[in-house]
Amino acid sequence: MSHQGNIYWLASYPKSGNTWVRAFISNLMRESSEPVDINALCTGPIASSREWINKALDFDINELSHDEIDQLRPEAYCWLSEQMNNPSYVKVHDGYTFLPKGRPLISQKASRGTLYIIRNPLDVAVSFAHHCDLSIDQTISNMADPQYCFADGTHKIYPQLRQKLLTWSEHVTSWLDRHTPPLLLVRYEDMKLNPLATFTKIARFLELPCEETAIENALTHCEIKNLQAQEQTKTFNEKPPRAKNFFRKGVVGDWQTALNEGQIRKIIFSHGKVMQRFGYIDEQNQPIIPFDYISARDKEALC
Amino acid sequence: MMYRAFGLNILSEIKLPPLLKTKANNPDITIKLKGVDKQGLAAPELIKPGGQTAPNEFWFHVPGIARFYITNGDSVHVDPEKGASEQSIRLYLLGTCIGALMHQRKRLVIHGNAVRIGNESVIFAGVSGNGKSTLAAALYQRGYQLLTDDLAVLDENCCVQPAYPQIKIWQDTADKLGIDTSQLQRIRLQIKKYAYPLESHQFCNAALPVKSIYILSTHNRETVDISPIVGMNKFVPLKNQTYRGGHLEGLGLKPQHLKHCAQLANRASVTKITRPKKACDIHQFVSLIEKELGKTERAA
Repeated sequence: MSHQGNIYWLASYPKSGNTWVRAFISNLMRESSEPVDINALCTGPIASSREWINKALDFDINELSHDEIDQLRPEAYCWLSEQMNNPSYVKVHDGYTFLPKGRPLISQKASRGTLYIIRNPLDVAVSFAHHCDLSIDQTISNMADPQYCFADGTHKIYPQLRQKLLTWSEHVTSWLDRHTPPLLLVRYEDMKLNPLATFTKIARFLELPCEETAIENALTHCEIKNLQAQEQTKTFNEKPPRAKNFFRKGVVGDWQTALNEGQIRKIIFSHGKVMQRFGYIDEQNQPIIPFDYISARDKEALC
Repeated sequence: MMYRAFGLNILSEIKLPPLLKTKANNPDITIKLKGVDKQGLAAPELIKPGGQTAPNEFWFHVPGIARFYITNGDSVHVDPEKGASEQSIRLYLLGTCIGALMHQRKRLVIHGNAVRIGNESVIFAGVSGNGKSTLAAALYQRGYQLLTDDLAVLDENCCVQPAYPQIKIWQDTADKLGIDTSQLQRIRLQIKKYAYPLESHQFCNAALPVKSIYILSTHNRETVDISPIVGMNKFVPLKNQTYRGGHLEGLGLKPQHLKHCAQLANRASVTKITRPKKACDIHQFVSLIEKELGKTERAA
């Protein structure tokens, strides 16, 4: 493995379990008997944080265009990575894209590795709609839009830099097929249904403690009901202003009751190929329902 | 052309239209179009992507715009890149370059704007995007005089030096405040941010001592929280409002900077204002700020 930089990227399409993983990492690193405060997760800032990138550069970027800022991001990540004494864990929602002249936006030199989290787009659509306070139909069409971005307006300044999300499928394949390893792919569904094995694999990949008791302890602290309980007593800083809450349900298969037939077909039409590749639909393009899915995964885990 | 801003005479080969001209002939700062080394400084102490710092020297390169070399607190060399617009170069001259020059001149520079309240000034500081310029524009609409937008340069007596009669506003701010941008000039073609000239009677062209500093931030709650910071606790938040504080290390100015911050903390009150992230009614918010500023006489 070519370990050049210090940054482990925690990459995912939004609403795929990234914050859950960050909560897990924070709890695992602290090894505390009390759950870590959701507003004090000890993973780094998001890769698209304007303040973070600004800190790396010696001049103002606030009056540069999105494209101009993107040109500066790879070197900024390298510098930030060089300042770190230990591996650091940085969330990223950008798709894996290249700048003109072929440089990757997410600099290889800054990277130690990438954990890519994938979640069934049928469930992502439901969760993402709540997150953005948009209709499910609008969300489905955003997920199929290759131009879809976060923070890409030119009329104001955003706390985050523009993030090209690409389509849901392109997001997945951009990271999995274009990015240079080391990369670990995990499925949200495996994290949910087979947590100990999946999170142990994550911890090992991320050079974190991976004894069973430590993993179990961290997992208990970041169970969805505990994260929800924390969010009820204090607001979560990372919640989008319009969303009711950040930690909503965190379940597998919510789409079965939340999506109608047309919506399901539309998602499968747009993302069928990638869904099939990662076991979310079968060869007849039929959704694999969570129950079957559990057994299949459990069997694999036992092997 | 000779200009006067930040309490200094600036002789510039590049036009700086928003600045007030002066007939003085003794420049404190000279801005020249001149070749700048492509690699950076001969002996940098701090190297960052696109920027290098050494005691009394600062070099930076904005791709597609220019290379800048700032030295001795009195000289800027600009080496524009092919096709760069004068507008873009100007923004860096009046932003990063002024900031570096002032650091080299051992001035404290706070990232914020300043408003006149009576015979004193109040600074609104905070990271970009937290509403500083919107607040400045809203207070301007309510008749307040402004001293500066974005860079509050303080002299040794903790007085804010007036900058120039212009603020920069995003389209979003203009929309909220009902400002028609169709007659305004964009500061760069690439973004919808405009130069908003101030009426001369609402530009305070005199240095005024700092009375208070308000640090703006946002949170995910529905309320506007206004909480004074007192005693020793003022120091760190104040230090964090320094414009591009990162320079100071390479400039070898850290102790000087800390001394300035302590001096300011002694003199001025510091208050944190946290507003909802969710778009809140700007007029209501400004009224609240006025009440807070308030009861003091309005600058006429």
